[in-house]
Amino acid sequence: MEQAIRIENLSKKFGDFTAVNDINLEIHQGEFFSLLGPSGCGKTTLLRMLAGFEIPTSGQIKLDGEPVEKVPPHKRNVNMVFQSYALFEHLDVQDNIGFGLKRKKVAKGEIRQRVREALDLVDLGSRADARPNELSGGQRQRVALARALVNRPRVLLLDEPLGALDLKLRRQMQVELKAIQREVGITFVYVTHDQEEALSMSDRIAVMSDGRVIQCAAPEEVYEHPSEEFVAGFIGISNLLQGRAESKGRVRVGDSSLPVPDLDDSYSDGDPVQIAVRPEKVAVDEIDKDADRIRPGMFTVEGEIESMVYLGVGNQLTLKLGNGGRLVALEQATYRVQSHDQWKVGQKVKVGWHPEHCMVLR
Amino acid sequence: MNTASAFDKPRILRVFTGLVYLFLFVPIAVVVVFSFNSQKSLQVMDGLSFRWYEEFWNDPTLRDSLFISIEIALITMVVATVIGTALAIGLVRAHSGASRGANVLMLVPLITPEIVAGISALLIFSQLGIGLSFWTVVLAHITFSISYVTIVVRGRLASIGVEVEEAAQDLGASRWQSVRLVLFPALWPAVVAAGLLVFALSFDDFVLSFFTTGEQSQPLPVRIWSMIRFGVSPTINAIGTLMMVVSISAVALAVLIPRLFGRRESGVKVLTGAED
Amino acid sequence: MDPDLDRGQGLNASRFWNWFVAPGAIWIGLLFAVPLFLVLALSFGHVDDFGRGVYGFEWSNYQAVFDSTYVPVLVRSVSYALITVILCLLIGYPVAYFIARFGGKYRYVLIAALVIPFFVNYLVRTYAWVALLADEGLVNNWLIDLSLTDAPIQMINTPYAVIGGLVYGYIIFMILPLYGSIERMDRSVIEAGKDLYGSPFRTFIHVTLPATQPGILAGCVLVFLPAVGDFVSAQLLGGPDTYMVGNLIQDQFFAASNWPFGSALTVVMMLFLAIWMVIYLRRATRGEAEVL
Repeated sequence: MEQAIRIENLSKKFGDFTAVNDINLEIHQGEFFSLLGPSGCGKTTLLRMLAGFEIPTSGQIKLDGEPVEKVPPHKRNVNMVFQSYALFEHLDVQDNIGFGLKRKKVAKGEIRQRVREALDLVDLGSRADARPNELSGGQRQRVALARALVNRPRVLLLDEPLGALDLKLRRQMQVELKAIQREVGITFVYVTHDQEEALSMSDRIAVMSDGRVIQCAAPEEVYEHPSEEFVAGFIGISNLLQGRAESKGRVRVGDSSLPVPDLDDSYSDGDPVQIAVRPEKVAVDEIDKDADRIRPGMFTVEGEIESMVYLGVGNQLTLKLGNGGRLVALEQATYRVQSHDQWKVGQKVKVGWHPEHCMVLR
Repeated sequence: MNTASAFDKPRILRVFTGLVYLFLFVPIAVVVVFSFNSQKSLQVMDGLSFRWYEEFWNDPTLRDSLFISIEIALITMVVATVIGTALAIGLVRAHSGASRGANVLMLVPLITPEIVAGISALLIFSQLGIGLSFWTVVLAHITFSISYVTIVVRGRLASIGVEVEEAAQDLGASRWQSVRLVLFPALWPAVVAAGLLVFALSFDDFVLSFFTTGEQSQPLPVRIWSMIRFGVSPTINAIGTLMMVVSISAVALAVLIPRLFGRRESGVKVLTGAED
Repeated sequence: MDPDLDRGQGLNASRFWNWFVAPGAIWIGLLFAVPLFLVLALSFGHVDDFGRGVYGFEWSNYQAVFDSTYVPVLVRSVSYALITVILCLLIGYPVAYFIARFGGKYRYVLIAALVIPFFVNYLVRTYAWVALLADEGLVNNWLIDLSLTDAPIQMINTPYAVIGGLVYGYIIFMILPLYGSIERMDRSVIEAGKDLYGSPFRTFIHVTLPATQPGILAGCVLVFLPAVGDFVSAQLLGGPDTYMVGNLIQDQFFAASNWPFGSALTVVMMLFLAIWMVIYLRRATRGEAEVL
């Protein structure tokens, strides 16, 4: 696959503050690539450098092999969807969408044609003559998207475009955006702080913090094999446990010795180790009852229910373990099991998980 | 709220406020009412007539002064609006040390008492050997008005934000094109409002004009000053009423024009740059 | 988006925007800033044999300013202005409070109505008071008609008239910032204050007043600064005994024709006002006062 974007040793400083710190990334053609991280991690600054609104302090940005970091935004073959949509209030929807084509002096007939196509793509054909202030939030979002896509850019940049929408609309738009991206085949670079959004839509995610990329990989990789505590904690609940390496493949946490197949040879006996287990991988059974959720092969330990949160789709249980640690377990209600009447605070339980689900964090 | 006290029932406040409004309006009412007095008296109303308006209109010096005031205000409005708007845009967008200096410079006229502005204008014209005339008044008015325009427009710029310009650039517009095609359409109601405000300020101005006017073409307020010094005259009531109508119309337009052109924001909000 | 991040906007950004700033900056610089320096320079000069102002390096004008003949005028100007500020505050605060808190949907109408008198030219407004307060004026006529007095009461040509004229002329600059400040105040704080302090009066002192401090400071500055330099009120409503520094300065540039001395007076007045301006701006940037 060719590289649509190559980011080499890119840094951006504002006075003493380093927003982007020596970042190296390769984004593939046709990829849905997300920049994920908390506020202030530098993801938006990085995006703005891709768009041309910031000049890097050092480093290079190569678009299709050409260095563009000093090219002004109106000359780059890149378009952006802004967080606030930035629609032109004095123009109607059609003129908004056709704005970029007009600047490029495309023929009027072709502009009309392409605008119509773009409107159909985002499902807004009926609102071509409306003004932005007559549209709903979701509709304005679509106009912003169409306005960018109609220019057939090499890369589309999206700056938290769904942030202003309510949950249901957001979920719907996530699906639509993904479908549109597949359809037009354009490389998307998507900035978000919502990890669920990134996980569900991306081909690859770059998790960022303090101006650096901590981990860049496919969603499953980032979720199941986070490279660092930060990634594990940022994406989902991590259930961190601190321990010391024991003989091969085991970690001592408190009084228990946990089997951790993921532990590689770089750890010598006695080295401190950080391990984590995802909440949905933790199984909880009533003590003294037959094993129901706990399967053979799982590592088990005794515990007590400290608190319980009813989520509708399931329960979130906070467990105090015999060896002193604390774990969060996410238990989904199924056709077999209705959880909400089963657990009581203070109840003694058995807690278990498969050793393969125990992640080692650096 | 348990006890009814003077605090909750604002009767005292209401009465007091009413009295203050009375205090504010009585002189105005006197001016307006007596401008229609058929007799010369300023104490007794004796039937309605337009005679003082006629006196005013038939006096060539006074009539001239009215037109001069309007001309000065119009020229000031146009020039100050253009320069002030450009200044506002530049100050908000530029992030250089020079622009920060220019910002301070822009604020100085606003906090300078008019008498000081008048004297300094007088001095520089005298120093440059420029005789006082219609044009020195215009120059002085423009100098003082630029900052008002900048403040009003700057407020509106803050609500518009920079993202629409960035969006235009992202779509292929050069910096100048994005200002012309995207910023100006969003900005013009505030510009017009600022212009009309400047018109009203210039039309009513006295102190600055007093120091910079020549012998011949004097703006109306300066003429009024001369008239008052010689004694009380009913014609002044007519002039005052007329001027009030002009000024109120200008400001009313400033508030209404943004409304008329389909904007969501009220004119007051445009003038003060308040958030929606 | 981190608000502290400077939006760089690419190459040559400043150079582009400087074209926008240049005309205004140059105009104000040449026709406002430079002239101010001229005033300063001339204040060190003297009058030549033809009565024209000549630049020089002497302090004589400043010595003259603080001469016993003129100091009373300076002191009077400041005290009139101070009294004006206090009166504007005492009169303006209740009005602003009433409109802000109890105006309801008529708030904007009330404010608009308040502003209308100030569209009448300042001269004409002051002249109206002359007509009203003159010995043969309306007020005296009513007083005589109502047998409240035998002979006309001397009302103009007194300090009271001058101060009254100043209050009338500038009170709007007190009411508007006060109104803004009171309107912006969080109402729930007053309710909480009532719980805490019991009496409405104490709530006012301890809660409302401090919360509206920015508006109070802004109003005071906006009234004080122009009032000090005002000469219209003193000229029309007063006499030689109520001369203010504005009249004095105006004299030097017209009748007495002593521009250097007039410049020195102006500089002294400006310096005095500048001190308060600096104090105010410090407070404004610290959020304790409204920013213009």
